[in-house]
Amino acid sequence: MMSIELLTGILFVCIIVSFALGAPVGMALGGIAMGVGYITWGDALFNVIPTTLEATHFSFILLAIPLYIYMGQLLTRSGIGDAMFAASQMLIGRVRGSLAISVIVVCSMIGAMVGIIGAGIMTSGSIALRPMLERGYDKRLALGVIMAGGGLGILIPPSIPMIMFASSTQNSVGRMFIGALIPALITIVLLIAYVVISCKLNPNRAPMDKIPEVQPTVKEKFMTARDGLLSLMLIVAVLGSIIMGIATPTESGAIGVVGAIILAILFKRFKPRMVQKAGMQAALLVSVAMWIIVGASVFSNFHLLMGVQNMVAGFTQDLGLPPIMVIILFQVIMLLLGFIIDEFIIVLMCAPIFTPIAVSLGYDPIWFGILMILNIEIAVQTPPYGFALFYLKGIAPPGITMLDIYKSILPFVLLKLCVLIVVMMFPELVTWLPNYIMDS
Amino acid sequence: MIMTAIRRYCLSVHAVVAFIGKSVSYLMPILAFVVAFEVFSRYILNKPTIWAYDTSLFMFGYIAALGGAYAQQQRAHINVDILYNKVSARTKSIFNLFSFALAMLFMVIVCKMSIGKFEEALEFNYRRQSEWGPHVHHYWLMMTIASGLLILQLSSDWIESIYHAITGKPFLPDDIRHQEENA
Amino acid sequence: ADHNWRFANLYSRGSAFGAVYESLAKNIETMSNGRIKVQVLYAGEGVGSTGIFGAVKTGLVTMGATFQSLNAGELPAGLVEIGLPGGTSDATELTTLFNEKGWAPILKRAYGEQGLVWLDPYIQPAVYVITKKEIKSIDDFKGLKIRAPGAYGKFLRNLGASPVSLAWGEIYTSLSTGVIDGSIGSNMIDHRDGNHVEVAKYMYKLPLAGAQVLPIIVNRNAWNKLTPDLQAIVQAATTVHAQAQLTKSKLWESEAVKEMQAKGLKWSPEPSAADKAAWTAAGSKLWDEYAAADKYSKELIDVLRKEAN
Ligand code: NA
Ligand code: NA
Repeated sequence: MMSIELLTGILFVCIIVSFALGAPVGMALGGIAMGVGYITWGDALFNVIPTTLEATHFSFILLAIPLYIYMGQLLTRSGIGDAMFAASQMLIGRVRGSLAISVIVVCSMIGAMVGIIGAGIMTSGSIALRPMLERGYDKRLALGVIMAGGGLGILIPPSIPMIMFASSTQNSVGRMFIGALIPALITIVLLIAYVVISCKLNPNRAPMDKIPEVQPTVKEKFMTARDGLLSLMLIVAVLGSIIMGIATPTESGAIGVVGAIILAILFKRFKPRMVQKAGMQAALLVSVAMWIIVGASVFSNFHLLMGVQNMVAGFTQDLGLPPIMVIILFQVIMLLLGFIIDEFIIVLMCAPIFTPIAVSLGYDPIWFGILMILNIEIAVQTPPYGFALFYLKGIAPPGITMLDIYKSILPFVLLKLCVLIVVMMFPELVTWLPNYIMDS
Repeated sequence: MIMTAIRRYCLSVHAVVAFIGKSVSYLMPILAFVVAFEVFSRYILNKPTIWAYDTSLFMFGYIAALGGAYAQQQRAHINVDILYNKVSARTKSIFNLFSFALAMLFMVIVCKMSIGKFEEALEFNYRRQSEWGPHVHHYWLMMTIASGLLILQLSSDWIESIYHAITGKPFLPDDIRHQEENA
Repeated sequence: ADHNWRFANLYSRGSAFGAVYESLAKNIETMSNGRIKVQVLYAGEGVGSTGIFGAVKTGLVTMGATFQSLNAGELPAGLVEIGLPGGTSDATELTTLFNEKGWAPILKRAYGEQGLVWLDPYIQPAVYVITKKEIKSIDDFKGLKIRAPGAYGKFLRNLGASPVSLAWGEIYTSLSTGVIDGSIGSNMIDHRDGNHVEVAKYMYKLPLAGAQVLPIIVNRNAWNKLTPDLQAIVQAATTVHAQAQLTKSKLWESEAVKEMQAKGLKWSPEPSAADKAAWTAAGSKLWDEYAAADKYSKELIDVLRKEAN
């Protein structure tokens, strides 16, 4: 039998070759798993397909993806999304990069609605990418902002990976949720600071809106404010439906769809054709995202059945390193795993292997869990392989290449790495707030 | 003569795939409505339904799977286009020969397994594990069709690529893709 | 090794239950002198939770420890096997039911029809419902929205509650925001791991199932490849495993309850005799329904009926 190290190497080479040739990602991963699997295992491996299909298509958690994508498409096609940004820019005033700033704020709110990365990025991308590109924003800045903002979906509660971490390591979900708030806030502030500074340094990245020849009348300003307020109400309604216990985070996507249709009617922009066109585009995006998830899950399930988790577990035993080096090593391993597996599997696989070691070294498990979440956010958006990259490519207009996306994320990955390092150096950033709230 | 027949095959595949891809998108608003109805029924009427959960998941699966062939036709599936964008159109076609064959390998196996599951589901009367317990055989039949459509579309794309790789000329009319405005 | 087996279970790597499965795997390896090598697959490691049944059936994994409620649509008799609400919690009684009163042969046929070898069942602790509001009498269940799949959902419906379908990952958030008023957990340990007590404080005294009986299943082709002595070894190892499960899970259950009580868990007051009667009645209503749904379920329930009379 082939060793798991050799198998991993072969799979990695196959990925690189097929990606380089421009093969469709999901189906290529499935094809590689089937081909290599047939040689190393035999046709019994093919049975991984039905269980993977069922686990993917019958996942109520993933159902958030179609619902939120559809909401995003409705918002952008009805002009509600634009209204939201117009109003928020009026609020921020004439600052260079103001649109990118409002996009980050809106992404944070979307992050507070959804619990998974896919829904975060595809919703934010649907609503916010086109307005930025149309106003002549540098495409890398625009893409990077969406990627960074959409990833907040798992850092800002509710967060499915946090729930999975807490359950598989027997920690408090409440503490995780609260512990993530300060790191999330730091991330948002850093993102905004980056936008402001980079636009100052390089004004071409974010052109100022032209000063309109005729100053907007009070009435026009009022209309902008009213439309913006109504759009904001939608976000409030969706968030409210979660907080007030009306809907689960998955279901809230459907509330958003209904709300977007009602708003479109209020804005007198409702046309059955618009709803259908949005449905068309949403269905295409859902299919693209889900075939990636199916192919990638078939691939990673094959790899896991062959025992890659044992390789990781074996590697981390008896390291004999100083404690902080162990933590850093764990981060590196998770970043590398982000090359081949998705956010949920990283948690399911690494949380139980790593957390007990971290705790035995005297570290706080909640802190370690938040580090893992911060890490996953980075792992899924580092080239060449990462779900967030693929989701963003799916939502981006045809002219955007994968290279644009790879380049766009660099500064934002560095920012998130900074947050990771800062949180690693100052555990109180995570532990203080939950201790303060939950122990008093 | 034979070229005409092959071309006709490709065009029919395109037509069928586009028809199904577009039809399935009508499920999108219905899906949202079903989930919203469950929320309404549970929160306002205080009567959670037993059917909405599975129904919404089935529709999700249908949309996700059946749109795959249409996405392939529209070249909407995600690829890493770094090298791909740098090479000539003919080299692209050569790359496609490999990529589409790999994708077809996967799809043939998906199709074969789905047929097997469909027969098994019929034999043992498989249902969902919920209280409502709807049949699942139609899901596997749908997966068979979805992967079958992908095989057809990929075969058409493969033919297109090999023709282009050899002759350097397009095989199918240009307007076959992006008939829909893509905004 | 002559035989390389994969053994999938539902628990996380490093969890208490996971460790028991790990030791079953080790036992098989040691007892077979290394002729069978068993790789343990934990939650998320290649097979989804609802996929273990199908994966063992097809031979993708050789051996599996699943939870029948997850496969209710594939093997309805499993729901009766695991224990319908209101069933006994007495381990000795259960063992007799399986080994002497005829359940084992029925189940061997039911699983065998699907290409599975049914090995020694093991007993896991009771199923309880946790709620946000205290249940003082059984009438308090009326109108409550409770996350409870399959048979447990039907049982609660008989009591006037509204069962809700929800992904496991959404239980915590849903309890906390009030989308649901309560949830069952597959056992106390599940309630603890799900952190439910952070967002719902009350545990109802009466269990929905006094005990749950879960099987170890093996792919038949792989089983038939074993020599008789190896088959006997795997059998023996699962018997040891069943014992370990029973003693350890009782211990863990009490630990879990203690931990949850430290976090503020409260038991509902002792139910009245009328409540207890209503509870039992709600359970026995299910017998007919399940017997009518599936031939193997009917055989199992016929045995129960014979006992009851
Ligand atoms: Na979130
Ligand atoms: Na990555």
